[in-house]
Amino acid sequence: MEFSNSCSSFSSSSLDSTKPSPSESSVNLSLSLTFPSTSPQREARQDWPPIKSRLRDTLKGRRLLRRRDDTSLFVKVYMEGVPIGRKLDLCAFSGYESLLENLSHMFDTPIICGKRDRKHHVLTYEDKDGDWMMVGDIPWDMFLETVRRLKITRPERY
Amino acid sequence: MNYFPDEVVEHVFDFVTSHKDRNAISLVCKSWYKIERYSRQKVFIGNCYATNPERLLRRFPCLKSLTLKGKPHFADFNLVPHEWGGFVQPWIEALARSRVGLEELRLKRMVVTDESLELLSRSFVNFKSLVLVSCEGFTTDGLASIAANCRHLRDLDLQENEIDDHRGQWLSCFPDTCTTLVTLNFACLEGETNLVALERLVARSPNLKSLKLNRAVPLDALARLMSCAPQMVDLGVGSYENDPDSESYLKLQAAIKKCTSLRSLSGFLEAAPHCLSAFHPICHNLTSLNLSYAAEIHGSHLIKLIQHCKKLQRLWILDSIGDKGLEVVASTCKELQELRVFPSDLVGGGNTAVTEEGLVAISAGCPKLHSILYFCQQMTNAALVTVAKNCPNFIRFRLCILEPNKPDHVTSQPLDEGFGAIVKACKNLRRLSLSGLLTDQVFLYIGMYANQLEMLSIAFAGDTDKGMLYVLNGCKKMKKLEIRDSPFGDTALLADVSKYETMRSLWMSSCEVTLSGCKRLAEKAPWLNVEIINETDNNRMEENGHEGRQKVDKLYLYRTVVGTRMDAPPFVWIL
Repeated sequence: MEFSNSCSSFSSSSLDSTKPSPSESSVNLSLSLTFPSTSPQREARQDWPPIKSRLRDTLKGRRLLRRRDDTSLFVKVYMEGVPIGRKLDLCAFSGYESLLENLSHMFDTPIICGKRDRKHHVLTYEDKDGDWMMVGDIPWDMFLETVRRLKITRPERY
Repeated sequence: MNYFPDEVVEHVFDFVTSHKDRNAISLVCKSWYKIERYSRQKVFIGNCYATNPERLLRRFPCLKSLTLKGKPHFADFNLVPHEWGGFVQPWIEALARSRVGLEELRLKRMVVTDESLELLSRSFVNFKSLVLVSCEGFTTDGLASIAANCRHLRDLDLQENEIDDHRGQWLSCFPDTCTTLVTLNFACLEGETNLVALERLVARSPNLKSLKLNRAVPLDALARLMSCAPQMVDLGVGSYENDPDSESYLKLQAAIKKCTSLRSLSGFLEAAPHCLSAFHPICHNLTSLNLSYAAEIHGSHLIKLIQHCKKLQRLWILDSIGDKGLEVVASTCKELQELRVFPSDLVGGGNTAVTEEGLVAISAGCPKLHSILYFCQQMTNAALVTVAKNCPNFIRFRLCILEPNKPDHVTSQPLDEGFGAIVKACKNLRRLSLSGLLTDQVFLYIGMYANQLEMLSIAFAGDTDKGMLYVLNGCKKMKKLEIRDSPFGDTALLADVSKYETMRSLWMSSCEVTLSGCKRLAEKAPWLNVEIINETDNNRMEENGHEGRQKVDKLYLYRTVVGTRMDAPPFVWIL
């Protein structure tokens, strides 16, 4: 089966970063790959995919700034009174519930969010400003942006 | 109708507004032609080089609204050099000289200068509405003239233009007496905005219904603007960075709640993830949502927002929403009519993408869907067949598989059968864009079934000239045909020259068309402008011994009643 004049080497599944061969039948100097690629990523063409310049520029800018997909966010977790802490990837959890579940499992005791009292271990966190705060007040994603480390408080003693 | 006086006939014509219908009316008889031309107020010119200002004014002396389009569509994708043409200056000059009562000007893909804008602003006392889409060549100084001189300005709508931002005070050029604004869209401006001037302007514009801000308008300013314009219907949020100052955020939330008329939301040009929840309270009213520039927002946040938008009719989004996200759209947005899914990763190989599954889910869940633009990583014939069965009402179907020539990823077959099913089922299809591995067969189907097709975009498709011939012979209503990187040549180009008289334009780039073929075409059809765009040295084409057989880089031809244009740059050769 014949393939049409093609940039068939222009394939997202190819692993090497060699330039696609120009199509055999036309001299496309305007499409010449004039963007030397300093990164191992494949070069992006300026005319494919067919999107407007504004979107193209937005996405290019984003590529420079964004973290890698599936970021991990490892934070230290301490149980109050225990000198050796643990480390936990917060991105592995979908929200507060799964976080608490996991922590409870990790430290082998039920842990909750909320007011300190005599019975429960309450989860707190240190935020960007260095303040210690109650876990659970702000939306999960906002929490991920600001949390630096976690501390599980012991039930209050009087 | 012969027995009615002209005024009565004219009154009847007033009810006929579409351009197509009015054009048809004017062909009935001389008397109707005459009545129609004096009563036509809105004129649409799809190709500014098909006619000229003099002819326009001679025929429609009473025109109030003019729409002009310049560069061919592929100019959007960097395929047409900037200096190609499409200048609005001669049009404005002619209109100004003729003292026609111009009130509205809509331009797409044209070159607009500050001089043009200045002239426009000074020449028409009742000028009300300026809409510029994908234009270039002007600066904020031009905007300042419009602001300062158009006393009754109602709409200033700048969509995706290339504007040189002089960080000027153009917003403060609106006089204090200007209170008539209904639409203000400056989202495409890159520079700083005078926030004080903006707030004052919005505060004194009680009729303002559509406001689209640029990047430079921060969150707290947005809150203030929304507070003084609760009548807003269409809002383009500028920069939406997460402001740790919770007071700003609270004020914004309060302001948003008051905007009960809000139906359309866009922008979020620089957005932090969890900002969208502030808009949840008004989501149930939204009919249009454009998040296609919100590259920073993760799929999960998009999904959370969309779950509240049960009345959505139009959704533009990035593929970071994923197939799962599209399934949520399918189950939530039962009123959806138009969907556009844009790529968020240009280099490819990304995992945050959509596949044929998302498309199938949408087709199954949204019975009112009639327009789709879908960028995806992969497709199958089976999926397209299912989509065709689910949605026989498509008017616009544009599919872009990111990797050129990619076959059905399950069967490795070309996607001929899938697209064939689409054109067969969708009897009202007017616009189609193809992608993936395609042979001549798909064009056979298109020629056979796509009876209403007016615009067709082809890239990296087909095997022989037969493909293009199927389309030219079969699609009776074809208006705009644009082809790139496909093996169609002189045989197809020259087979039926009279066909091009029924079409607005034909674009062919990186195809097999030769210089001698184009020359022959130009000879046979003097009523066509046959343009060769060659950014390399044009002279080389002549000097080369193989002159005739040399392939043409870019060919653009269009019917015209005014012959060769005089404003072509050196690299455009009009045969």
